Formats: sequence, structure tokens, C-alpha cells
Amino acid sequence: MFKLFKEIRETGDATVEYPFAPYEFPDGFRGKPEHNEKLCIACEACAIACPANAITMELSEDQSLITWNINYGRCIFCGRCQEVCPMFAIELTKEFELTVLNKADLGESCAYEVARCSCCGKPYAVKKEVDYVRNLLSKMGGPAATDIKKLDRCLDCRRLEDAEAFQLQARHRGEA
Amino acid sequence: MLADNIPPQLQWKPDPITLDAKVAEAKKKLLESIKRSVYVYRVDCGGCNGCEIEIFATITAVFDAERFGIKVVPSPRHADMLLYTGAMTRSMREPAIRAYHAAPDPKIVMSYGACGCTGGIFHDNYCVWGGTDPILPVDVYVPGCPPTPPATIFGFACALGILDQKLHASHHVAPADDQTFVAFPAIPYKVRTSFEREARRMSGYYFGKKIVDEFMLTISKDKEDVFGAIDRLIGNETDARKRAVFMDLRALLMSKVVKG
Amino acid sequence: MTAKKPVALRIGETHVQAVRDTFPGSVLDATWQAADQVTITVPTDMLPDVVEFLYYGRGGWLPNMVANDERPLHGCFALYYLLSMEESDKGFVVVRTEVDPATMEYPSVTPRVPACVWSEREAFDMFGLRAIGLPDERRLVLPDDWPDDLYPLRKDSMDYRHRPTPTTDVENYQFLYEGHAEETTQVPMGPLHITSDEPGHFRLFVDGEDIIDADYRLFYVHRGMEKVAEDRLSYDAVTFLADRICGICGNAHSVAYAESVEHAQGIEVPLRAQYIRSILLEVERLHSHLMNLGLVCHYCGFDTGFQHFFRVREKAMDLAVLLTGARKTYGLNLIGGVRRDILDDQKLATIKYVSELRNEVEALVDMLVSTANFESRTGGIGRLDPVIARDYSPVGPCVRGSGIGRDVRFDHPFDGYKFLVGMSARTHDGCDVQSRTLVRVEEFMDSLAMIEQWLDGAPQGPIQAEGWQYTPNKFALGYTEAPRGEDMHWAQVGDNQKCYRWRCKAATYSNWPVLRYMFRGNTIADAAIIVGSMDPCYSCTDRVTVVDVNKSTSTVLTKSQLESYCRRRTHSPLAGKGW
Repeated sequence: MFKLFKEIRETGDATVEYPFAPYEFPDGFRGKPEHNEKLCIACEACAIACPANAITMELSEDQSLITWNINYGRCIFCGRCQEVCPMFAIELTKEFELTVLNKADLGESCAYEVARCSCCGKPYAVKKEVDYVRNLLSKMGGPAATDIKKLDRCLDCRRLEDAEAFQLQARHRGEA
Repeated sequence: MLADNIPPQLQWKPDPITLDAKVAEAKKKLLESIKRSVYVYRVDCGGCNGCEIEIFATITAVFDAERFGIKVVPSPRHADMLLYTGAMTRSMREPAIRAYHAAPDPKIVMSYGACGCTGGIFHDNYCVWGGTDPILPVDVYVPGCPPTPPATIFGFACALGILDQKLHASHHVAPADDQTFVAFPAIPYKVRTSFEREARRMSGYYFGKKIVDEFMLTISKDKEDVFGAIDRLIGNETDARKRAVFMDLRALLMSKVVKG
Repeated sequence: MTAKKPVALRIGETHVQAVRDTFPGSVLDATWQAADQVTITVPTDMLPDVVEFLYYGRGGWLPNMVANDERPLHGCFALYYLLSMEESDKGFVVVRTEVDPATMEYPSVTPRVPACVWSEREAFDMFGLRAIGLPDERRLVLPDDWPDDLYPLRKDSMDYRHRPTPTTDVENYQFLYEGHAEETTQVPMGPLHITSDEPGHFRLFVDGEDIIDADYRLFYVHRGMEKVAEDRLSYDAVTFLADRICGICGNAHSVAYAESVEHAQGIEVPLRAQYIRSILLEVERLHSHLMNLGLVCHYCGFDTGFQHFFRVREKAMDLAVLLTGARKTYGLNLIGGVRRDILDDQKLATIKYVSELRNEVEALVDMLVSTANFESRTGGIGRLDPVIARDYSPVGPCVRGSGIGRDVRFDHPFDGYKFLVGMSARTHDGCDVQSRTLVRVEEFMDSLAMIEQWLDGAPQGPIQAEGWQYTPNKFALGYTEAPRGEDMHWAQVGDNQKCYRWRCKAATYSNWPVLRYMFRGNTIADAAIIVGSMDPCYSCTDRVTVVDVNKSTSTVLTKSQLESYCRRRTHSPLAGKGW
């Protein structure tokens, strides 16, 4: 019994101040994922990696916009999105006060323009992603930069083009 | 997206219980003028237990929700608030409804944790109904997997209208001419990505990113004497593990320089 | 699958040879999945003989049995009886047999080795495979409102999102009574408990105050994880699902899953990652055991102690946040390594936490054992007879409190446990609640020492493996010692970057079947503390210790559950007090 009282006396007040004072988690705490819309190129890596499908990508009906969605209500705060993002455009913050009264408030989204193929006009990739790759390739220079002109075409058109070029080459070789 | 894609004939949908107008009004009144302790009854509808234990942590000494009069009670008959956790498994549908009816009106229903809010990682499994709201009318959603005790206290405060929610829906369209710049333009792209990859392999996505950023900042600052700068960085570092990762990155750079 | 090497004796070779010698012609095939894992295929009719021989004759214990629909691969169903050999030639021997899809029947092993009972019941629920001679054929896993002829895990049965119309709106589970006395009272507990955790429905058969028998309906939380892992998630995302099997020992599951795939694929996990995994496993044990110790206080009517243990437990939670970024469900495992490193800052902070925890918990334990209630409420209560234990293969502190030193960490050392110095499994032989509690106390202190050893000894180097070859259809076991006992995962990856079959066995799965025996001969007031001493992820069962006093022998209670909840809660929620 004596030990118990001693323990109680030595402990004193163990309760935290929160909510009257902010509660601080240590660095590296996995709280609300913060999406940096400006950095994001809508490449869909996070949506594929997300184990809970909290992050999803949706193409609009007319295929002109692709929307990046997150549902904080489904998020399991694993940080896979942060791990796989090539642009470091999503980061788990220390924010934990996520309660809402209205379910719709759990959603966040950002729509990105979809680029159309310069050849056939079909939507084929996110415009921002294409621009980023163009930017990157031009910086890299050398043989990589020669691919820049292919960037504004869809995969089908590029394949077709490659096949034609190959055919042409083969014919030349045959003639030689 | 996935959740909405389920062929409807595959899934039987339970009818959620709806509030009748009178009860809804009484509830509003209750929320506006609740001036007493709030009793909470917990219903686990197929969670992993994480939520339950965090609620335990919330009501014990360190977070002590009872200092606000929020008390977990042993019967739904005493409850002002029902707290549902879990993705609502098939077996728990009936008990969950019974608990709901057992609590006197007006009552607040809280959906707790990722599973309670939307079904979480289990959202489209065959044996769950995907959260509390396919079955019951929910007033407040507390996300988290599991919600931490401070998040739980915040959730209670929001549910009672003492604090305002911070999160709001946001739906943007990115500006059409928005461009993303290339990080560390001074460092060749392939070199940069191989650093990032190596740092992740050595120290994981979180610390690895911090370490590699520090490293790349150093080499992009001092272009004259890159290895000198790196050696200074390593020399000044007191953290033995960080030093080891820096040295590993240095070796990688060395191999690139020698090859290139 | 690896070919047999004739030269040196591999782990498990002696067992395979013994089976060959005892039952000529029984071993159709023997292959090694990993250094310590061998799978032997036997003819279906010899299955019970071989399993019984390995179990009782060669010192095997049975974590579980895995059924698998292998019709797309070779036209048959297959059963894998996993045996952990713990006497000589320690390792795992898996007895595999094929079941003809035309009959869907196989001879039950349960009459010979009772430990198979749940697995065989589950195999019927999920696959429709009938064990001939199985004494208990009730539904186990699937909910009562599930259609009879729909077997979720058959490859051709249904989409993983299929939610059939409920077949019933009432629970219709039959509770079995094995006692002899005619006049018994049934005491229902659950499925909803108060501040407690998972739902589960107990039915105690009592005569006056004494429990004669008990039965229970669990799996209220069956969420269909194994199916979703086969369909929606890719094999490397399943670690995050495995984290959510249990909110307290999630990391143990996630490590077990990752290691099953790593073993199958021959992935070498970097040493540093192995150390970090072990540290996190022990951190998990810290907060789990503290919770259980707190609850023991609570059961003894010593709520001050309960609050103090939970206060100190927050230190363990802070430690978890520091190392993983989350208080629970750490999500740090990937196939091939871990996602987060431990830098010096974290290391120093951890050492500080560890020493604080050691001092505080020593004082609290001192306080607990010097409390008069502790001895009187736990000594001699909830006896788990070692003979019963031998039959049912329980795990963790539950079996170690009955003098049997089963502990995966020492029987089959993995990860950091290979490098420990001067540690061994803790046992007590009182067979009662007190022994199980003392085992936990000692393990807690051991965990602190282990963490210190690993922090000191962790080598440099990477924490993730890269560049392995993915080979479809290989399978293996992964195992960890969770706070409650061994977690055993069996995973086979398919040709689509997904699990073909994943079977996870949580520690408590092995412990539930013996609970019935632990109850017998005790009074109702002890029911809660007995359940609690098993630490079944499920703690406050105690507050529910009460009751519909329905003096009838009918098997189904007529009073509505609702009413019983209500009446139940009008009694004192404290065990050992009120009634």
C-alpha cells in the first residue's frame, strides 16, 4: 500500500494540456497527407501504390481533365504515396485534427488537363506530365533530347511511326 | 473510383436507418445546448482493435477525456453518443443496429477511424458493408488509422460543437499553363535519381530524403571542389548513421565520376 | 522449388526420413522452400497417420492448416498441415495432401490431433472441403447470414466484392455444451462488450457460481482479408493489410507476411533491416504487455494500478511514434526490408525511453505484486493443464505460463533474434493466471534488454533489398512471435504479382480452443480474468461478466439480446465485486 502512495505522489500530474495547448508529435509523424498541387504532375504513382485506395484518379467524361482525389476518411496514413512520388509532391504532415461533420469535407481533389495527341487528337497523357518530361529531356540534352519531338504523340501513333520508320529502313537496306 | 465501380448486381445494399424529422430537430437542439457530461458507448463493428485501444488511451491518465465529462459507459441505454469503429462486418450489422436502437434519442453517432468512416483498407471486401453510414445515420467522422488520442479528443470536441472542424472539401482545377520545375537542375537528372534511390535504399523514404537533399544541396553549392565539400559535410556530421549514408553516396558519386 | 541435395543433412531431413521409415510409401515428394522448411506430399488417406506421428511422435506442434484451391494449377485442392518441430532437428515440416475436387472430402485429423479443429472447420467455410470424422462441423468463420453454398476462397466462386443478400436477420449459432450436469444456467457474454475490444459471444454454462463448460462464437470481425489480398492488392501492398489484422500486434503480422514471401522468393533481407524489424517487434511487445498488465490490475479491482500502467504505456507509444511515425499499425515493412531507418537521434532517444520504462515498470510491478488482491485473484485461477496444452498447441505467454517453453524467437530464431546473447524463453509452471502474468513481466524486461542489444549491435548498410527475381507459385512460411504468441503466415504468390493464397494465423487463433478448458472449474467472477490472461485482443470482457440469469436448460436464450445488454449493465462492471 505504501508503495502505491509513493508512486502516486511521485507521478504528479501526468495529463497533457491538449486541447488547451497544441499537441506536438515528433518529426516524422504520419498525419494528414498534404498534396502539393503545383509540384504534382498527376502521374498516378500514388494512386497505384495506395493500399487503401484513398487516392484515386478519375478521367472526366469528355476526357479533357483527369482528377486526382484523396479521401482522408479512407486514408490509412501509411505514407506509401510519399514514398513513391517521383516529384515529392505529397508529404505526410503532423496535422491530425481531421474530424468533420459532413462526409464530403473528407475529400480533396485537383483536376489536371489532359494532352491530346498532335497526330490523331486522342487524349493520351496529362499535359503537365508531358511538359515536365519535355523540360527534363531538353535539360539532359544529348541523345535523350532527340526524343522530344515524339512527346506530343500518343503511344499508338508513336508505334505506328516507329514501325513505318523501321519499314523504310529495311527497304533501304534491301536496296543497298 | 474502385468503390464506385462495383457492379450493382454483385452487392446487396442494406437500407440505412434514417432519422425522422422530429428526432433530427431534437438532436440539433441537444447539440446546441448540451451542458452536461457526455456518455459514450463504443461499438466495435469489425475493426482491428487499434481504434479500441486508442480510445482506451484517450480515457486513461495521460489524455484523460473524462476531465471534460466524456465518459465511456457500459450500456447503450446510458449513452448520448454511440461510437462505431470498424468496417461494419456482416456479423456485426444486427448487433450494431440493436445497439443503435437501444440508445435513447436524440443521440450522436460517431464514425471512428478509417474503417468506420469509409471502410478503410477493407472498403470493398465481401464480408463488410464499408463503414458505419451504409447502415446508420452518422453525425461526425473521425478519420485516422487509428485516430490518435489527441485526434479523438478533437473529434469529441467537434461532435459537441465546442471546436470547429478544420478540414474542408477542396476541389481545384490546376491552371492550364502550370509547369513543374526540375529539382536540383545543376545535377544531371540520372545522377540525381540514382542518389535518391540509393539514399532510399540506405535509409528509407523519410530519412533518406532528408539526407540526400542535404547531400545534393552541398554538391550543387560548391561546383569547384565537390569532393572537398562532401568531405567537409561528412566531417561536420555528428550522427554516425548519417555519416555512413553520406559516405555511401560519396562512393556512388565517385563511381559515376570515374566511369563518366 | 528447390531440388533435393543428397549430401549434407538438411533441416527437417531426419523427420522426413522417420516418416518414410514408419509409413513406407507415404512420402510422395519432399521439397525445401527455405533452409528450415520442408514440405512433404502424402496420399490423402495417410494424412491423419502422418500428422499424428509428427505431432506426438516427433515433437511437433501445429500452428495451423492451410487449404488452397490449386485447381487452376494442377486440378486439385491441397491441404497443408504446418508443423513446427521443436524437440530435435528444429524447423518446419509441412504435410501436404491433395483433395479430389470430385468428392471434396478428406479424412479429418482432428480426432487424432485436436489442434486441427479450427483449421478444418475453416476449410469447410472457405472452400467447402469436408473433413470426414470432424467432431464439430459448425460454421466457424463466416457470418450466420452468409449463404450456405458460397465458398469465398474458391477461385471460381465469386468476385471479392460480392456481397450476397443476408439469409437471416438473427444469429443462429448453436452453442455446444459438453458437460454432464443437467441443470445449468447459461450466461451469455457479448457480442458487444463495453469499453472492450473485438466483439465475441461467449456462452458460459454454469451451475450456481461454477462454470461447467463454455462455448463461444467469434469471428464477428471476419473482414475477408485473405480474399482481398488475392484480388485487389499486389503482393507488396499486403504488408499494409497485414498490419491491420490486429491493432496491437499488427507489425508482427506484417513481418510474418513479408518473411513468408521473402522465404519463398529467396530474398535476402539486409542485416540492418532485420535488426530494425526485431526492434519494432519488441517495441510492440512493450506496449502490448503493458496493456495486459494494466488490465490485470483492473481485473483485480486495482484501478489505480490500471491507470498507472496505462500512463507508463504512453511512453512506449511515444517510442513507437518516434521510431515509426505512428502509434499503431506501423506500416514499416516492405518485401525485402523496412521503410525507415534509425538514426543516432532516434537511437539515443530510444535508449532513454528504454531506461525510463525499465525504472517505471519495475516500480509498478513491485506495486502490483505487493497488492493483496493480486495473489488472491490470480493464483490457481484459470488452470491450463499442460496435457491439454500439448493437444491444442496454444502459444505465447498462455502456454509458457504452463511450463512449456514454446517461443518462436528462440525455437526458430529469425531476424535480430539470431544475434541475441544470453536470452531464452521465459516460463512459469503455475499454469494459472498469475504465471501468465509473471511471464509477461519478465518478457517485458527482456524486451528492453533486447532493444538495447540491437541498438548497439545494428550493422551499417542498406535497409532494403533490391533486384530479386519474382518467381510465381512459390510458397513458404513466415513466422514471428507476437506479444500473444506465434503468428504464422503461409503465402504463395501467383503469376499476376498478387498473392495466390495467403493464410495468416494470429496468435489468439491457437489460444481460443483451450479457453474452454481454462474456464472449467472456476467461478463466473473469474471468467473475465481468465479471458484477460489470454490477452485475446479483447480485454474488458470482464465488465460484461453478467448476465441473464435464465434458469433453463434450453440451448437458445429466448430473451432478446438487447434486454440482456441492458440488464447486464445495470450490475457493477467490475469483476469480482458486484455479483
